[in-house]
Amino acid sequence: MTGRSNVLLAKQIGKLLKKKVHEPVSIFSDGEVRVRIAPNLRRRHVFIIQPTSFPVNDHLMELILMIDAARRASSSEIVAVIPYFGYSRQDRKEMPRVPISSSVVARCLEAVGVDRIMTVDIHSEQQQGFIKGAWDNLYGSYALIPALKKKHLKGIIVGSPDKGGVARATGYAKLLRADGIAIVYKERDVAINNSSETLEMVGEVKGRNVILVDDIIDTAGTITGASDFLKRRGAKQVIAAVTHGLFNGTSLERIEKSGIDKVIVTDTTALRDEVRKHPKVEMVSIAPLLAEAIRRVQTGESISSLIL
Amino acid sequence: MRIVSGSAHSILASEIATILRVPFAPSDIHVFPDGEKRVRIDEKIVGENVVVVQPTSPPVDANCMELFFLLDAVKRSGAASICAVVPYIGYQRQDHVFVSGEAVSLSVVIKILESAGIDRVVCFDLHSIKIPQLFTTTSLSHLSALPLFAELIKKNKWMEESVLVSPDMGGIRRVKQLSRQLGNMPYASIEKNRDLTTGAVSADILHGEVAKRALIVDDIISSGRTVETAAALLKEKGVERIYVFATHPVFSNETPYVLQNAPVEKVFVTNTIAVPKEKQFGKLEVLSIAPLIAEELLKPATSN
Repeated sequence: MTGRSNVLLAKQIGKLLKKKVHEPVSIFSDGEVRVRIAPNLRRRHVFIIQPTSFPVNDHLMELILMIDAARRASSSEIVAVIPYFGYSRQDRKEMPRVPISSSVVARCLEAVGVDRIMTVDIHSEQQQGFIKGAWDNLYGSYALIPALKKKHLKGIIVGSPDKGGVARATGYAKLLRADGIAIVYKERDVAINNSSETLEMVGEVKGRNVILVDDIIDTAGTITGASDFLKRRGAKQVIAAVTHGLFNGTSLERIEKSGIDKVIVTDTTALRDEVRKHPKVEMVSIAPLLAEAIRRVQTGESISSLIL
Repeated sequence: MRIVSGSAHSILASEIATILRVPFAPSDIHVFPDGEKRVRIDEKIVGENVVVVQPTSPPVDANCMELFFLLDAVKRSGAASICAVVPYIGYQRQDHVFVSGEAVSLSVVIKILESAGIDRVVCFDLHSIKIPQLFTTTSLSHLSALPLFAELIKKNKWMEESVLVSPDMGGIRRVKQLSRQLGNMPYASIEKNRDLTTGAVSADILHGEVAKRALIVDDIISSGRTVETAAALLKEKGVERIYVFATHPVFSNETPYVLQNAPVEKVFVTNTIAVPKEKQFGKLEVLSIAPLIAEELLKPATSN
């Protein structure tokens, strides 16, 4: 079943698995969510597909209430498939007297009785420890690597737009048989929300095709800043490969104006029409990965062999 | 004691703080472009008895999540005790399974609140008398706005040639209670029928005698249609003047228009929920529950 967050993705997964996808959510006039599951769920395994993207709080509450309804309908196992996990960037106490919001979200899901959480490229993998239950984290590279390979690029350097993404860049470099990696340094002032600044880099990109990898493209400040910087340092082409395309604020405008040549994203979140149709944006579907992972959870096969 | 407020109703929080003479500073709440909230409590609260004020009124999901984040921040900052003042609890009308396959949304909200490690909840006029038992680990202070209404009715001498009216049979307990507080003044009830799928309301039967003046009493006003239908029926039965009393103004956009044009003299509500300027109207009067909350906070929490 699915909430209202990414119905298209849920239906694609349903199609791949040859399963009907139920939509049990409606809304009361005062904005309260109403969930009613029509089919019999007794002793059934229920997979609820709901990325918690914008509007994050409403999509979260839909998910929480769907889990509750499934639990009360006597389903035997409830798996929350959350391709994009909202609040995952608030995963630590970065200053005094703030919550760890991502932990609050995970514990909300656990409190209503979720058995397993499935995510794609969770912002930090330590978050799997927020709950006692199982948490399978998959990788967007499953969909992004084939799309990149299709471009038949020569002389690839994989770039990370910040220090935190070095491990991811190394992984992609190995899979793409790249010549090396480049790291763009960024200093982010936590007091000013969401502003970012490119400063320095390590690595050599002159005349190279750079694949910039990241987990989230939000207002696109980080990725376009890094792209322009890499171009100034002589990069031939800059292609961004990003799992979650949030495209908030003036992100499309920024991408338009920047030296970035292409942004490849997956459909973990529902992409607006203007994003899908944007000439610099290319979308690859995450549905095959999720469908296969769901199938393996159901049959008890290994998921780790699926991880790229 | 420290008062911490979310963004749902900081005016109420500051009113409570003023009465209790404790310092108050609104929390720093930032909303990211994707709707994610980041809350931060500005003042030091370590070792303090912390009171978090946040009705979970519309936008209910955003206000709920903000409350959960605030409680987490308070918990992690070493508060001695945590009390959540949630004058209006969202989702309280979904307190049981109406049709099989539904969620019990209120139970979910309470479960999450309790799992946040709080000691006490203060709330007002819950929709059903069975709701308090859903709280299993926290002390619940279930307060009522009825004494405020009783005081006002006495002050205006509205007990003479008057009848208290519940706009539906489910609210009969409420008018009985108010009647007792007003020296057993007469009461009546309308039989309201709601279609569970369309939500359409029809009112046709009145149980009890009417008088020259009717005082309609309810817990929640959302669309205002229930009040409108009840008032029309009472007018038809020969009532001359109608006054409305309701605790929670969960107004939708159309409510001010519906109520202003209904055949009623005045609509009294309380500030369990903030009524924004654009939802205020000529016949509306808002009574403050801040003194009741302040008084309750000075009493020790009772165990359930």
